[in-house]
Amino acid sequence: MIQFLVSRLLSALVVVFGVVCLVFLLLHLVPGDPVDMMLGESARPADRAALREALGLDRPLLVQLGEYLGGLAQLDLGTSFHSRRPITDMLLERLPATIELAVAGLLVAVLIAFPLGALAAVRKDTPWDQGAMTFSLIGVSVPNFWLGPVLILVFSLWLGWFPVSGRDGIVSLILPAITLGTALAAVLSRMVRSTLLEVLSEDYIRTARAKGLSERQVVIHHGLRNALLPVITLLGLQLGTLLGGAVITETVFSWPGVGKLTVDAILRRDYPVVQASVLLISVTYVVVNVLTDLVYAWVDPRIREARA
Amino acid sequence: MQRIGTGLLLVACALLSACAEAPSDAIRMGVASAPITLDPRYATDATSARLNRLLYAQLVDFDASARPVAALAQWQQLAPTRYRFRLDPARASFHDGSALTAADVKATYDSVRDPTNDSPHRSSLEMIERIVVIDEHTVDFELSRPDPLFPGYLVIGVLPRKGIEAGHPFDRRPWGSGAFELAAWPVEGLLRLERRADGQLFEFLHVSDSTVRVLKLLRGELDLVQNDLPPELVRYLERQPHIDVRHREGGNFSYVGFNLEDPILADLRVRRAIAHAIDRRVIAWHLLGGETRLAAGLLPPEHWAGVDFDAYRYDPARARSLLAEAGYGAGSPLRLNYRTTSDPLRLRIATVIQRQLHDVGIQVELSSFDWATFYADIKAGRFQLYSLSWVGIKSPDIFRYVFHSTSVPPAGANRGRFQDALVDGLIEAAETAQEPARRARLYQELQKRLLETLPFVPLWYEGQFVAARTDIHGYELSADGDYDSLAQVQRRPAGVREARFAP
Repeated sequence: MIQFLVSRLLSALVVVFGVVCLVFLLLHLVPGDPVDMMLGESARPADRAALREALGLDRPLLVQLGEYLGGLAQLDLGTSFHSRRPITDMLLERLPATIELAVAGLLVAVLIAFPLGALAAVRKDTPWDQGAMTFSLIGVSVPNFWLGPVLILVFSLWLGWFPVSGRDGIVSLILPAITLGTALAAVLSRMVRSTLLEVLSEDYIRTARAKGLSERQVVIHHGLRNALLPVITLLGLQLGTLLGGAVITETVFSWPGVGKLTVDAILRRDYPVVQASVLLISVTYVVVNVLTDLVYAWVDPRIREARA
Repeated sequence: MQRIGTGLLLVACALLSACAEAPSDAIRMGVASAPITLDPRYATDATSARLNRLLYAQLVDFDASARPVAALAQWQQLAPTRYRFRLDPARASFHDGSALTAADVKATYDSVRDPTNDSPHRSSLEMIERIVVIDEHTVDFELSRPDPLFPGYLVIGVLPRKGIEAGHPFDRRPWGSGAFELAAWPVEGLLRLERRADGQLFEFLHVSDSTVRVLKLLRGELDLVQNDLPPELVRYLERQPHIDVRHREGGNFSYVGFNLEDPILADLRVRRAIAHAIDRRVIAWHLLGGETRLAAGLLPPEHWAGVDFDAYRYDPARARSLLAEAGYGAGSPLRLNYRTTSDPLRLRIATVIQRQLHDVGIQVELSSFDWATFYADIKAGRFQLYSLSWVGIKSPDIFRYVFHSTSVPPAGANRGRFQDALVDGLIEAAETAQEPARRARLYQELQKRLLETLPFVPLWYEGQFVAARTDIHGYELSADGDYDSLAQVQRRPAGVREARFAP
């Protein structure tokens, strides 16, 4: 198990290094000058030149890359071009909001998807199944930039239950979490249904039923547990995506998360912030994937034993 | 399964306890972009500049005709290269109670001019040779060359000398002598200021989505929203019972620019045809609304150097005839590329212009990009037509920057590569004219010449608007969108009914 973990972490380091170099070089190739974004249209050439020099943008690209990697080796993510603040502070400021939203979105997705998928599988080809799958189709088709404002209109403006936007207490988390979780719930519920259907046709399920277990026990203890593996994989990947930033949801609900920070930084060509955000996202993916493998082993004794 | 369920429940509980922030009784203003720095020596974005005006007092400000007027200090020109500023004896103290003195003025401007500080405003003050403190209330600026527009450059908020020397982080903890002081800046999208006169709190919330800004205003989570809304949302707000919408004329100038190095657009007849083919009145009415005015030049009529000519009228027949003269018609249609930003309103305007040009026989292909890419292309001259705006222009030194033949990027903003000896001569003559009336006349002549040679099509000056809850009164819109009148804004107590807005 430890050998497996070490090899995964080593390959992850190579991936992260590759991502960092690639993003650094690509960012500098994209049209758009950070100095223009900072100084605006009416800045004078001497001020532009001075700022370019101060930011180190006048040096050869490879020298800039070397310095950046040197900083990273000392865990220094650098300073934002625009706000001149340490990027570590900026990310730490926003990370709690991102984690809150990602976890809450995932929670909403799981709470909707598991019962819905199980219901659809157990009541296959009945109106329950069709209803659940219709919800799933709608959920996956509705874009967040539409669902968010509609939820705001109904639950904030008409019913007055929740604030329109911002991060101001637990109630402000509910609508963004539903917006974020709905599409994921739709995908997850389809997967739960299909894997559960597959599992429920296995011989050991027939055996369980023959032993006289109730249908509820069969579905929950023998069916759902064995159907979980591919669902966990999907959940792990989706959590990585959500932690990387649910940009649209963050924008609609003015949620001060990492995704919004990254997009704003891209639009402003704030290279150090983009690089740090991408680094954070890639590290998150790697960690979540490793954790997903560990959860696999925890859920399925066969995997545990095989690795042992 | 049970373990997973318990885990999820624990996470939910953790989330419940993690989120907690009590709402305040502040007056809340929604802004489309968050401030970047509260240090006026470094601020270049509009939101930061507007907030810095509240936090820091400045030596000079502008009146309605953009003439420099005394703010913190009266001035006197002792010689063509020497100005004396006397601080107002009734000036406010810094937020910590210490007096603002001539030494603070000197320290602020010396700090901006210091090359090691990398202030983006340094070169706009490069004519300052020396700053001399005469006494506690008086400071002299000595220039390396005469510049009649000089007082108008002294608009950077004054910082305390001791803070500058101690390396105080003004960007996050502003320390000025303005009517407001910082109460808190807990996260980037939420800034709290306190009005010094009465302790009233104000919150500036960054809400980037315009629809959400409107919904927050309707629900009372915001009290004020100024500009940056599409016209249909403004019209919707005008129909809402608890919202007042006010408009006023603005001075931000929009135009269609030409690349004069392009062989097609180098032909004045083609540029004139395009100017006659755009129905600016229809676009201004339907897409911009409010108090948008058609423009004839870069400076609006109320500016001391502004113009109020009758610019190119919508005349599709004339446009077709000019195109025919230039050799274009049904058999040889004119094809052009038009660049704009991906901002939805700008794209919509570009689409209407595309249609209007199509009606006179010009086939226009639209290309829209994010601002950074768009701007890089424009600077590099990779365009035929583009549209853009000049925002907050006060000083006519903009003409050298935009139209002088030596101002082709990167030296300036002559993106169309416009070359005209007469325009160059008028710019140089106006810059050195000491007598204000003559200076104004030269700038007006210059703008007339620009209309004749047409390096761009002047479009309009976009109107300003503010939408506010009806219990908010005292807010006065300014022509350039600053927030200065927040110094007078009050929330009317519940149950008190008055006429909408202050007169």
